[in-house]
Order: sequence, then structure tokens, then C-alpha cells
Amino acid sequence: MRQTIGALGWIIAILWITTLLLPVTVAFSLMKLLEAKNMGIQEPTISFSNGNFTLFMPFYINNTGFYDLSDISINIKIGRENKTISTSSTQLPNVPAGTMANSSCDISFSLEELVLKYSELLTNDTELDVNASLRLRVAYAIAFEASMEFTTHWDAPLYNLTIYDVACNSANRTFSFSISFDNHAPYPVNGTLTANLYNSINALIGSDIKYVNVPSRDKFNKSFAITVDPTATMTPNGVIRLYFAGAQISEKEWTFP
Amino acid sequence: MSKNENKRSFRKLGLRIAKATLITAVAGIFWLVLWLLISSLLVDFPEHLARFAVLAWALLFFTFAIKVSEGTIYKYILIIARAFFLIVYVAYATNCGVLTIKIEEFTLTIEFIPLLALMIVINLLAMARGMLQAIEFTSQSPKD
Repeated sequence: MRQTIGALGWIIAILWITTLLLPVTVAFSLMKLLEAKNMGIQEPTISFSNGNFTLFMPFYINNTGFYDLSDISINIKIGRENKTISTSSTQLPNVPAGTMANSSCDISFSLEELVLKYSELLTNDTELDVNASLRLRVAYAIAFEASMEFTTHWDAPLYNLTIYDVACNSANRTFSFSISFDNHAPYPVNGTLTANLYNSINALIGSDIKYVNVPSRDKFNKSFAITVDPTATMTPNGVIRLYFAGAQISEKEWTFP
Repeated sequence: MSKNENKRSFRKLGLRIAKATLITAVAGIFWLVLWLLISSLLVDFPEHLARFAVLAWALLFFTFAIKVSEGTIYKYILIIARAFFLIVYVAYATNCGVLTIKIEEFTLTIEFIPLLALMIVINLLAMARGMLQAIEFTSQSPKD
């Protein structure tokens, strides 16, 4: 029995030393990783094409620590007023000690999705809530998750979208109006802008399509002229609906005596 | 019991208490140094510091009690009780191996469930060892 007690004593001592040394060495390993920019995010790029907003954020991890890094994931949630606009989750393969890994975090959401949830984001500058978190496991034993909540400024791509100077020439059944907006976004806005004209019974009576290419921080101002279909019923009032890249972005009622 | 025997047992108890106090004081210095190191890091988290203080005081109490009860069965009961306390308290104080620190908008979560599992295994082994020691102690004749 004495030998068993002695052996147990040794096992307990060795296990205690291991248990207490592991967190200390993991802390040193993490400190080595965090110093001298061994982990970082490169400059993110934002683009808008084919009706999709995309945020591309490359990052790298140079594992100079003593232990392998596993279960690495980056999660980003963008929302406003407790509503989620978009989420992104990036998983990275294991990064063994002494190696480097490169990856990127992509966030993408369609214009249609944005219009459905937050149409005012297209036409108004605002603040967005961002929740970003990084999770990694060191030595396959201790996991760290750092998360941060912050706000970021959103610059509207169709700021102050206005339909104005609506006029009708009943003689030649032509509608004319102007559309203007400022592209506050840091990327160019390009795509097709469709103006559909509806009568009071919601029947399409005319349409006009224009290709739009507005550079970043530039203004857009164009006149539209729609000839009403000869077979369509003209009513004294109706509605103009604007579509951009397939998503309805604005609506304005019209009335003529 | 004669007057001399009484005197001798009191002296023995006094020596045992003095020895236990000395060893507890040494252990206390170790915990104090650790406290000083940790308190500068956890200055903004008084709840974690309070949990650490409870652990340190409890372990100091067990150190003293085990040393005082040297040569009795109570020593082994206290060793088993200490291991049991460590299992329960460490699991409770570390929120079952998931610690969260929140500084304004920044949150850091440390998850060390495998390490906690290892600590529980160590304490279970310590309990088993304490039981074996207690059995061995009771099986010994007073002459041994």
C-alpha cells in the first residue's frame, strides 16, 4: 500500500506541475504572438457591383509562439438598432508553431436584402454597429475569444435620392422628371436605374432605363422622359417607382389635373 | 493521567501548533506574493480578486489544520476535504472553466475546460491517496 501511496503522490505532483506550467507557457506564447505585429489585419476594401456590397478584409497570423494554434475563427456581425444586416464567419486551418497563415474575411450582402431590412441605408448616412470577434485555441487546451463592439460610419451610395420636376405633356402623352442623388460611398455606384410609371390601378404604363456610373463622392443628376404606352389607360394620378440593380429603391406619387 | 503526562501532551500540542503556524506563515507569504502579482493585473475585477482571496484563505486554513492534526486520523479526513473543496470551489470560481473579462466594449473570454478537468482528476487522485493513507493509518497498531 505504501508503494501505491508513493506512486500516487508522484503522479499528483507531476500533474500539478504540468497543470500550473501550461497556463504560464501559454501566456508567454501569446505574448510572443501579440508583440511585433505577428497578427494583424491588412487594409480592407469595399466594393459594390452586380447589386452586391462586399467588404474584403485580408489578415495574417505569424505563429511565433511555442504552441500550435487551432480552432481559429473570425466572426463579424454588422447591424443597426438590434437588427442584423450581415454576418460573416471565417474559419482558419490550424497554424503550427513557427508557421504563418494568410486568410481573408469577406462580408457580402445584396442591395435587395439591404432595401428590405434598411432602405434608409441607401439614402442616408448613418452609424452601424459592428461586433467583431477572434477565437483561437492555444496548445489544443486553452481557448481565447476576444470580441469588440464598435460603431462605424456608413456613407450612403444614393444619398438624398430625389425625384423632382415631374411634368406631363398630355398632347404627346409624355412624362418627364429628374432624379438626383450624391454618392457618399467610398466606391463607385454602377448599374441600371429603371423608372417605371404606374397609373392609379397600378398598371405599368411606361418605363425608362438608364445606365448609371457615379464615381465615389460624386453627384448624379439626370432627366427621364417616358412616353406612355398608347394602349395604356391614363389616369389623373399614379406612381413612379425607381429600381436600381433590380431592387426597388424609391417611390413617388404623381397627380395631374 | 498524571500531572507530568498532562504537561508533556500540552507541550507536544504547543510544539505542533507552533510548527503548523510556522508552515502556514511560509505558505501565507507565498500566497501574499501571488496576491500582490495578481492584484495589479486584476485591479479592475474585484470579484475575481475576492474569489482568489477565498481560495488562499481556505488553503491556508487546511495547511494549518492538517499540520496540527499530524499523527491523527483527522489529518487524512482534512486532506480528503481539501481535495473535495478544491474540486467544487475551482469549478465554481472559474465558472466551470470559462472566465469572461469585460472592459467597456471589449470582452475577453478564456476557456480552459481541459485544464479544469485535469485539476479535477488531480484532486480525485488526491482524495484516493488520502483514503489509502487513512486506511493504512488505521491498520497500523499503536506499537507501529
